[in-house]
Amino acid sequence: MKKLFTIFLFVLLLSMTVNAAANMEITFWTHEDPNRTEIENRYIAEFEQANPGVTIKRVTSGSGKIQELILTAFAANQGPDIFNMSIEDEYAYIVNERLSPVDFEAAGYPSLQAIYDAYVPGVLDPVTYKGKLYGLPLELTNWCIYLNKKVFRDGGLDPEKDYPKTWEEMVEVSDKIAIREGEILNRRGFDFRYPYYLVSTVPMVEQLGGKLISDDGKTAIVNDEAWLKFLKFMQEWGPNGKILGSPTYTNARKLFNKDNNDIGMCLTGLYQQGRIRSDNPDFYNSGDWMVVPFPIFENAVKDVPAAYYGHYYMVNGQKSEENQKMAWKFIAYMLSHGEEYLTKVNIVQPTVKLMESETYKSMPYSKVFTDDMAKGHVVYYGENSAEIQSLIREAVESVMLAGVSPEDALKTLKRKVQEVLDEG
Amino acid sequence: MSKRISSYSIERKKARWGWIFVTPTLIFFSLFSFYPIFNALYTSLFKKKLLSLKPPDFIGLDNYIYLLKSPDFWNSIRATVVFTLGTFIPLLIFSLIFAIFVMSRKRFQNFFQIAYYSPAVLSSVVAAVIWLLIFDPRGLGNQWLNLIMNSPGIDHKWLANSVMVQMSTMLVYFWKYVGYFTIIFIVGLASIPQSIYEAAKIDGANDWKNFWYITLPLLKPTTILVSIISMLQCLRTFSTQYLFTQGGAPLGPINVITLNIYHTAIRDHRIGRASAMSVILFVIMLLFTWVQFKSSRADEISY
Repeated sequence: MKKLFTIFLFVLLLSMTVNAAANMEITFWTHEDPNRTEIENRYIAEFEQANPGVTIKRVTSGSGKIQELILTAFAANQGPDIFNMSIEDEYAYIVNERLSPVDFEAAGYPSLQAIYDAYVPGVLDPVTYKGKLYGLPLELTNWCIYLNKKVFRDGGLDPEKDYPKTWEEMVEVSDKIAIREGEILNRRGFDFRYPYYLVSTVPMVEQLGGKLISDDGKTAIVNDEAWLKFLKFMQEWGPNGKILGSPTYTNARKLFNKDNNDIGMCLTGLYQQGRIRSDNPDFYNSGDWMVVPFPIFENAVKDVPAAYYGHYYMVNGQKSEENQKMAWKFIAYMLSHGEEYLTKVNIVQPTVKLMESETYKSMPYSKVFTDDMAKGHVVYYGENSAEIQSLIREAVESVMLAGVSPEDALKTLKRKVQEVLDEG
Repeated sequence: MSKRISSYSIERKKARWGWIFVTPTLIFFSLFSFYPIFNALYTSLFKKKLLSLKPPDFIGLDNYIYLLKSPDFWNSIRATVVFTLGTFIPLLIFSLIFAIFVMSRKRFQNFFQIAYYSPAVLSSVVAAVIWLLIFDPRGLGNQWLNLIMNSPGIDHKWLANSVMVQMSTMLVYFWKYVGYFTIIFIVGLASIPQSIYEAAKIDGANDWKNFWYITLPLLKPTTILVSIISMLQCLRTFSTQYLFTQGGAPLGPINVITLNIYHTAIRDHRIGRASAMSVILFVIMLLFTWVQFKSSRADEISY
């Protein structure tokens, strides 16, 4: 009887183990993008069919919320198997060794070098740490200026000729386009993407000869004059200056798609085209929008466009080896559809093959983005890049809204960023 | 002797039942309140990064010393004190006035109670989102105020001015909680025996004298309760300030301690320092509560 019971227990445990192995759940957390959801849900169904017993659980959150959700999940050692964020938010996970290196075999590559060869040179550098590769890019994005031609014409401007090439012209053009009711803006010419200071405003400082961090990585906020000029420009832009825009107005990028005569220009990536197409097909097909390069200051010492950034798929290193392998296999499966991501979602996976494809080259205004990217550099990333971005935000918004002088804001910014660098 | 033993055993029996009833609550508080408090106290003595898997470095009181020298932390103390004083005093005064107003109505008492209380049912996040729309430069806030003040086109910069943004957070909090405290005052007012007012009426007291010499003194326990709850609520304020800064408001003027704790832990990943800040906030709250309790015990009310 005792023997029979032992055999029964053994069989039960074995069946439970086999069952657990056969029923693997891969959790996949990503930001909301309806166009991506549509195709990725299909990839999930196909992958699950090809790999019986594997379930992919895809969870989406707002792009401003996901950083916090993933961080708190990892802090409690409950992170998802797969996630993606912008590199400035992801880098801390690499440095703190929370991730699984790319399993090239599971991803279908003959060697690690083959992965590097498949991608545009340099794009995997931000996810290479101590000789290991920790991510594969979902997208590489840079921002240019989207322009609504109807709004330009309504403001008495010719969009083809009068589009702003410099930041000084941006002020002039925006002033002409703006419709104000006293101090309240009913139509803005252009407005910045306020929370993303590393991507779009640090390059403005660099145009003036400034730097966020010195080349040796030891000194923060290099060239006070350049930073001061930038802060004064932002002060003038805001509600206490020329009243051209403010972080307290609705995000310009969101308004742009609606074509409601309330925004002339916004700053965004190639992916915006996919969103315009799905949000407002009539506007997309009207030909009433165009894309122009990122402006530079008239007396710029360097031509620096908006920085490009990558969203990399990463795998949780705390999950079982089987889960990690399956996660990389699934990521590689999704990324094998680069052309579909480009045509349906308008996001660029920077593989050599895709970047040289006719599909990419024939995308509306892809050349504008490619040319700007060639002149630019990757966004600043480090263990504390998200913290530094918030400090720049504090400085800019304090001069624009809180009545702090650019000199005082710069002093505070310098002290705080230096402290972050020193503390490591 | 046997009588003493039996009463002793009844006492013990009562105590045992007492423990049985209290134990679930004790377990609940131990898990969700006491453990986090002691854990925060312990973590505050370490240099610990949220994502790091390495064992944290013990640094003693360094996090506290850093905070006491940090201008940012003192700004958070300032923002918290300004918000608390600017919100909890009007809350106390107006909820009492509204309660007296509701109690004095012969009709529509229920309607007024529901009307005042309804914002308290909303989550703070929903309330802040509604007010973000109102405070948009093109929103209802500017439209109403410009209509009332006959000042078309003026942007009152609800979120875009360091003074106004502080006022805006106070306004949202006041709107959300005034009804809640009004209801507590209504309960307090209803518990005052009518016979006292009748006796005063016979003695020739008017409504004003009734209020000053009967209502207000007899309402003291309720007033103390409301002042403690409202003050603690104000010290713990977070979601309004958080959502306003997400909506583009400048951080400095409304960087209350809880928001600073959040940024230090979640944005900067410095969980040790954030824990030290939360311990300081806990001590401040404990101190204020103790002071209020102490002052309330001076002359307790009995009818």
